[in-house]
Amino acid sequence: MRKKQTMSSPLPVDWVSLYIEDLHKWARHKTSSSEVASDLVQDTFLAAAEKFCSFKGESSPKTWLFSILNHKITDYYRKKIKQPVSIDNDSLYGFFDKSTERWNKEMRPGNWNETDGHLLDNDEFQSILKLCMDALPEKWSTCVKLKYLTEKKGEEICQDLEISPTNFWQIIHRAKLQLRDCIENGWFKHT
Amino acid sequence: MKNIMNSVFLSCVKATGLMEKKIHFGLTSAEEMQLKLHIMMCNACARYEKQSLILERSIAKLCEPDNISVDFEKLKQTINLKLETAGNNTQIGKD
Repeated sequence: MRKKQTMSSPLPVDWVSLYIEDLHKWARHKTSSSEVASDLVQDTFLAAAEKFCSFKGESSPKTWLFSILNHKITDYYRKKIKQPVSIDNDSLYGFFDKSTERWNKEMRPGNWNETDGHLLDNDEFQSILKLCMDALPEKWSTCVKLKYLTEKKGEEICQDLEISPTNFWQIIHRAKLQLRDCIENGWFKHT
Repeated sequence: MKNIMNSVFLSCVKATGLMEKKIHFGLTSAEEMQLKLHIMMCNACARYEKQSLILERSIAKLCEPDNISVDFEKLKQTINLKLETAGNNTQIGKD
């Protein structure tokens, strides 16, 4: 058997070592997940190697790699948003009366007795929120989080992800209704 | 008459929807006024809005990066290996 010839990647050999941590830090900041960040950074270097010939040195290697990473991050969210999850009106009329469009009596928000933001510092509340987020369709929970993950304005998020603004806030509307209800049932009625 | 009422008074469905529009895109001044008026008259939606804002702040907190430590040496190895493999594949037939 012929020994496989080892070819070095066309990327300068020290780029991975030089930039991996900065890229990873950024990706983790934008996705809130180390694991996802690792995948995205890996994809970034592979894409960089593939199109290294188009790198003309007009920007610094770091800037170039970050621009590839940012595209990867946008692609990652675009895929999540493209999942077909219907937002039919049935998801609203569990909460509201169909003819009057007012709250159904038993679905009206209860009293959370919230004072001085103590809920925000409560780890248990935070973990129930997480459970309730995970119970939503992934597309919905992604939409709810995008404002904070991307740190961009709604218009820009919609442009990047090719979704209409109306569609975007209507998804968040439904997600929030479910989320609020889930938290009220999980937290306030059992503590 | 019904049309006039509808253009001034929002339903709870529309009011809670506009709350999200407000957070992410902002409202026109007419929408802003309609929403204010509705919240003044509807306790359930007034309460919902407060809770919704608490949720927003909690969600922001949830979006903070996790603290799971990453084995960068291992990740570097994986990436370098993949780069090598990719490099080999493009060189097939050259030897």
